[in-house]
Amino acid sequence: MVSEQVRIINPTGLHARPASVFVKAANGFRSDVAVISGDKRINAKSIVKVMSTALKQGTDIVIEASGEDETEAVRALVDLVKGGFGEV
Amino acid sequence: MVGIVIVSHSDKIAQGTVELCEQMSQGLVKVIPAGGTSDNDIGTDATKIEKAIVQADSGEGVLVFVDLGSAMMSTDVAFELLNGELRKRVVIADAPLVEGSVVATVQASMGSDLETVRATAEESREMSKLE
Repeated sequence: MVSEQVRIINPTGLHARPASVFVKAANGFRSDVAVISGDKRINAKSIVKVMSTALKQGTDIVIEASGEDETEAVRALVDLVKGGFGEV
Repeated sequence: MVGIVIVSHSDKIAQGTVELCEQMSQGLVKVIPAGGTSDNDIGTDATKIEKAIVQADSGEGVLVFVDLGSAMMSTDVAFELLNGELRKRVVIADAPLVEGSVVATVQASMGSDLETVRATAEESREMSKLE
């Protein structure tokens, strides 16, 4: 299992188009991927779960992956969030 | 890729929902509006819906979203107008129009099959506004 904390910096947060970009990227990996925020833990591959959680700008989240490509998955998703989804 | 049709009594609702879905799909998914009557009044039109379904299909099926009451009836009539093969791969989503179509578009853009896209759409019924 690999995990890393990252702060959401884009204005929209992990919602709407950024949520869609994030979930699509997560689905590109074989590993199970979760987003953890406080006591919430959601499946990063589910668009409904990610959109309904609507994580806001400024929130610290942990991205956690387990599986054969866990390192690549966490790195790619952390980079996406750090990159601000092209909004910043 | 699975296609999507938005059936609404209002052409503006159908067009606006399509616009929102397209923002999520980056142009990968065909999302086709079928709103209003043939003379663009408030209502629904089976022929318009049938044409939208044909346009949305690329061989992997079409998921149809409807708004109120008779939109469902017009869509059933539209299904009867389709050829046999296409008729087999068209389903109505039992889901909210906006939330359902947006998440379905994302799911379809990942190359999922019709049943998976439909399941994601129907999962959106559980999305809470106030949590």
